[in-house]
Amino acid sequence: MIRNLRELYQYRALLWALTVRELRARYRASVLGFLWTFLNPTLSMAVYVFVFGWLMESDTARFPYFVFSGLIPWIYFSSSVGAGTSAVSERRDLLTKVRFPAQVLPATVVLTNAINFLLSIPLLVLLGVVYGQWPTWHFVFIVPLLLVQTLFTLAITYVVSAMNVAFRDLQHIMGNILQLGFFLTPVIWRIEQVKTLEQQQLVVLLNPVAALVEAWHDIFFRQRVPAAMPLAVVTVLSLVMMWLASTLFEHRREEFAELI
Amino acid sequence: MSGTKHAVVVTNVAKHFKKSAKRREYTTFKSELVRFIKGERAAIETSLHIEALKGVDLAVPKGSTVGIIGRNGSGKSTLLKLITGIYTPTSGTVQVNGRISALLELGAGFHPDFTGRENILINGIILGMSRADVKARMTEIIEFAELGDFIDEPVRTYSSGMFMRLAFAVATHVDPEILIVDEILSVGDEHFSKKSQAKMSEFKASGKTILLVTHSLDTVEQWCDLAVWIDGGRTRLIGSPKHVVAEYRRAVNAAEAQSEKTGHSALSAPGLALPETVRPQSTQETLRATTVSVVDARGQRPEAFGADAPLDVVVDFEATAAQSGECSVDVQTADGRLLFSTTFVAGALPVGRGRVRLSFPRAGLGEGSWTIAASMHAPSVTPQTAATTSFLVDAHPGVGLVRPLHTWSLEAPAR
Repeated sequence: MIRNLRELYQYRALLWALTVRELRARYRASVLGFLWTFLNPTLSMAVYVFVFGWLMESDTARFPYFVFSGLIPWIYFSSSVGAGTSAVSERRDLLTKVRFPAQVLPATVVLTNAINFLLSIPLLVLLGVVYGQWPTWHFVFIVPLLLVQTLFTLAITYVVSAMNVAFRDLQHIMGNILQLGFFLTPVIWRIEQVKTLEQQQLVVLLNPVAALVEAWHDIFFRQRVPAAMPLAVVTVLSLVMMWLASTLFEHRREEFAELI
Repeated sequence: MSGTKHAVVVTNVAKHFKKSAKRREYTTFKSELVRFIKGERAAIETSLHIEALKGVDLAVPKGSTVGIIGRNGSGKSTLLKLITGIYTPTSGTVQVNGRISALLELGAGFHPDFTGRENILINGIILGMSRADVKARMTEIIEFAELGDFIDEPVRTYSSGMFMRLAFAVATHVDPEILIVDEILSVGDEHFSKKSQAKMSEFKASGKTILLVTHSLDTVEQWCDLAVWIDGGRTRLIGSPKHVVAEYRRAVNAAEAQSEKTGHSALSAPGLALPETVRPQSTQETLRATTVSVVDARGQRPEAFGADAPLDVVVDFEATAAQSGECSVDVQTADGRLLFSTTFVAGALPVGRGRVRLSFPRAGLGEGSWTIAASMHAPSVTPQTAATTSFLVDAHPGVGLVRPLHTWSLEAPAR
């Protein structure tokens, strides 16, 4: 794991250059250009607010703000994993011709989405202000929480990108798995709506992303210190996952050039 | 085999590939699941291995230029990928001392929607330069690529020649200690080709180690200090470029001759080793051609011969025992194919040096580079090439490999 991260650091110029290219390429040919970074989550939020807030009359106060504060960390996670699945397998042109650590490729995807996430935060804050929620000191938790989420996201992305080299249909399944994950994560519903406390804990325990999203809700929506226990569990889990993913990646990457 | 004198040391390296493309291209979850349920867990095709390399040894001295030759499918590119570190060997070791830059494919990682300038930056970083390095060399690279205003246009609008020039320009400005090149010296038109060759000379002069895979045997003879012949996944011969290239040509010719006789060719199956050439040891030491040269009517060597001008092949030989001998001269194309061969029965030869002259009243060859392989040998022994030389034939009104003596005339139409 240390070696993995060290190599990432060694190749930070490449990581950064690829990320910048990714960010610019995504919107290069579109009229609205970089605005899509904000428009995409905003439009998703509008859809959820329309269906669940208005048609189904959610009882959650400040529902759009609630949805948005859970949606952007979810998008960070799901876009990274979704796009990261084929990050290694589709770069045949690079991997079979140039020597460089393959983990740069999934890491680029994660970093790209992390930047999009960071850029969305001001919009979230603005939305909060509209609903009368000014930033509080709890915002200091953004930094450690972002670190844990990035570690976790990177680990999952490593695993799926390495597996997708050998099993190409994974990239088709991932969309469905992520969709299931979305409904199992408290983005359009509140954790309090789950019947018993035990069930609530179970949701958070079985779904690390739920724990992360809950922590984001705590910072932005509920404006309180995130619950320590679930986060501690996720942090430890993220470190273990990262270690496992790095080991898997390390073992597999020699085969990448041959398999893709 | 110490690491300090050599830039690259390859020791007994083998590389096997799993042949996975038997039923389908990739394994899938579904198929793995079905196999798992049926209990056929990982009954994977151990017999279906492709042995790309079976045992290659190679030591590349620092600062030398090494040419790797061999047929298609003989494992040259696999070897380069192993040295570069893209593949890992199945067995054996690869030791590299120095920063490698590999030009295995030009333009790897170019993004079509980005401008030339932006792609230089990315490609440079991919090839191992730092951002500052690339920026410092940006003007130099742009000048070298000769793209003019196109440098700020998206790469997808480039012609393939422009694309290649840009890619070559970036790749050669990386400034590595070891440069690995896979068949790319023929980029662009005559002018750019000269320029890229000058760039390679510059690399060579500055003491960098160069590993070159090429099918241009002339390039190997002109450029390399050492030639390596990879055949059927093994090192067949390592030595002076002239010697290795000559041996290679002989084997290719022998394979072609064999295929003419038997109807099936060792050349048609990719990766198959070329046949062994017969080499009796007894006469090897006692009679040999020392040098061969090609001269014009005045006995001088012009830069290029006229297609209709006379041409003499002069073979100097040395006999260390009195014996009867023959002289064989092969005329080959630049890529090693035999145009024709002729043998002269010299009869009894005394001990000492001698000279054989083969005169052509006119060269009769097409425009381009030609190779002469001359040998002295005992009668009815497969000639062992000992001396080779190359020469150029000038352009002339005709086209093709040969220019036989011919006349044109206009005849009155039949009434």
